[in-house]
Amino acid sequence: MTETWTLAALWLGLALLAGLASIWLRVATALSEIVVGVVAGALIGTVAMGVDLQWVRFLAGAGAIILTFLAGAELDPEVFRRKWKEATAVGLVSFLAPFLGCAAAARWLLGWDPAASWLAGVAMSTTSVAVVYAVMIEFGFNTTDYGKTVLAACFITDLGTVVALGLLFAPFTLKTLIFVGALVAIALAVPWLTPRFFRRYGARASELEAKYLLVLLFGLGALASWADSEAVLPAYVLGMMLAGTVGRDHALVRRLRTLCFGLMTPFYFIRAGSFVSMPALIAAPAAFVLMLVVKVMTKIAGVYPVTRAFQAPRKEGMYTTLLMSTGLTFGTISSLFGLSHGVVDQAQYSALVTAVIASAVIPTLIANAWFLPRHHLPAPTSMARVETNIAAPPARGRGS
Amino acid sequence: MYHSILVGYDGSKASDKAFDNALSLAKSHGAELYVLTVSRPPEIGDDVETEAVIENSREHHRKLLVPLRKKAAQAGVKAHFEVAVGHPAEQIMSCADRHRADLIVVGDRGRSKFARMLLGSVSKTVVQYANRPVLVVR
Repeated sequence: MTETWTLAALWLGLALLAGLASIWLRVATALSEIVVGVVAGALIGTVAMGVDLQWVRFLAGAGAIILTFLAGAELDPEVFRRKWKEATAVGLVSFLAPFLGCAAAARWLLGWDPAASWLAGVAMSTTSVAVVYAVMIEFGFNTTDYGKTVLAACFITDLGTVVALGLLFAPFTLKTLIFVGALVAIALAVPWLTPRFFRRYGARASELEAKYLLVLLFGLGALASWADSEAVLPAYVLGMMLAGTVGRDHALVRRLRTLCFGLMTPFYFIRAGSFVSMPALIAAPAAFVLMLVVKVMTKIAGVYPVTRAFQAPRKEGMYTTLLMSTGLTFGTISSLFGLSHGVVDQAQYSALVTAVIASAVIPTLIANAWFLPRHHLPAPTSMARVETNIAAPPARGRGS
Repeated sequence: MYHSILVGYDGSKASDKAFDNALSLAKSHGAELYVLTVSRPPEIGDDVETEAVIENSREHHRKLLVPLRKKAAQAGVKAHFEVAVGHPAEQIMSCADRHRADLIVVGDRGRSKFARMLLGSVSKTVVQYANRPVLVVR
């Protein structure tokens, strides 16, 4: 066991380092962990890190499943019920534009084979719901029709991504049919069963709620894997179906987050980063640049007109659109699925993961630099005015 | 004469001083005091984590306001407390507009030039962009 504990200490040491860097640089821990993984992979080597050991793969896979479940559980079912038509239209456009655009660019501009091109489209199609949620709260849009529609649409976009990932590469055999049938049956049953189970056996020290959810997630994950599909598809669907029950139980969500962020997701993101080959990326940077540009352009083409149609001010509309390009979790999950199933090679994987990282960083920097809506003056006031402003009581009355 | 004063608060020593100054001004002018803390999501965020950060940060900021409520009540000043989400300078200016504040009070942490370059300065941004009087407390 000495080797196992040593490796576990190494991985969690890297996770700690990544966590500290994310606080200092004010970036997502996932981003920081991927970058630490890239550096560790280059310096230590993937073999020495034990990236293919069974227990490392289990922790990483479990992290991806629980994280995806939690992402699905963030859905607000009431808003979704009220806005599902508009949300589906906007969400599908937001998914299809980068999906088809990036797949076409990979196929015809980079010459990738059809399966690798479709995977590039899937990896680039995602949107980070919570990042858009933060923007909506910031502008006070989260309570408006516009904000609710865009937020609900983000779930449709991500649902499109996980469905495409789960079914596009499936062999469509009897196993696929059994998997889809079981998923539909369980997804319809859990909203009825879960609240009853939690009322009867919940709030005990033995954490039966967590065990119940993990049985469902790992069981469906096994079924997905048996059918040559991807475990995040049932996890996301289950999350959405349980958003009204589990999603509202903040104490349970927090406990799952602790499990997820504290132990499992670091293994996932560091492992994903460690497979990135910097020499391959430097040798052929065109794929990375092209994927990034096409993703951002297609998101803008697909989403910006929608924000304008809802009469969102220009800057707010562009700010929201640019932040909808962020999608680290599902982008990384899709890329790693492609690598582990032999759909893409290491050079293509490196280009995709780097484009996923860049699509989180660059549009955000552009959005903050040029499209952050100023509530006030378009340009800084002169220093002379600033000096007279300091501590000078106004002569005017309130509100004048 | 001030009728309403907005103070930005983040729990730092500088913001403690800013609050004390704002409270004293509000008391002497008979003004209403608006206290704003801003929960800031990661600049470059990701899915579940951003939601967790906002939730934890809101909770943290709510706790920060508890002792201030007592201070304001002891001073006999009518005070309102808010927790916003977003860029602090933006939210301070937006809140000042919403409440038609006559004066914005912010603390200056006295960070080094390098730290300001990396992190930006809330007080400097508010002074640059606000269209109303700003008091920076050091």
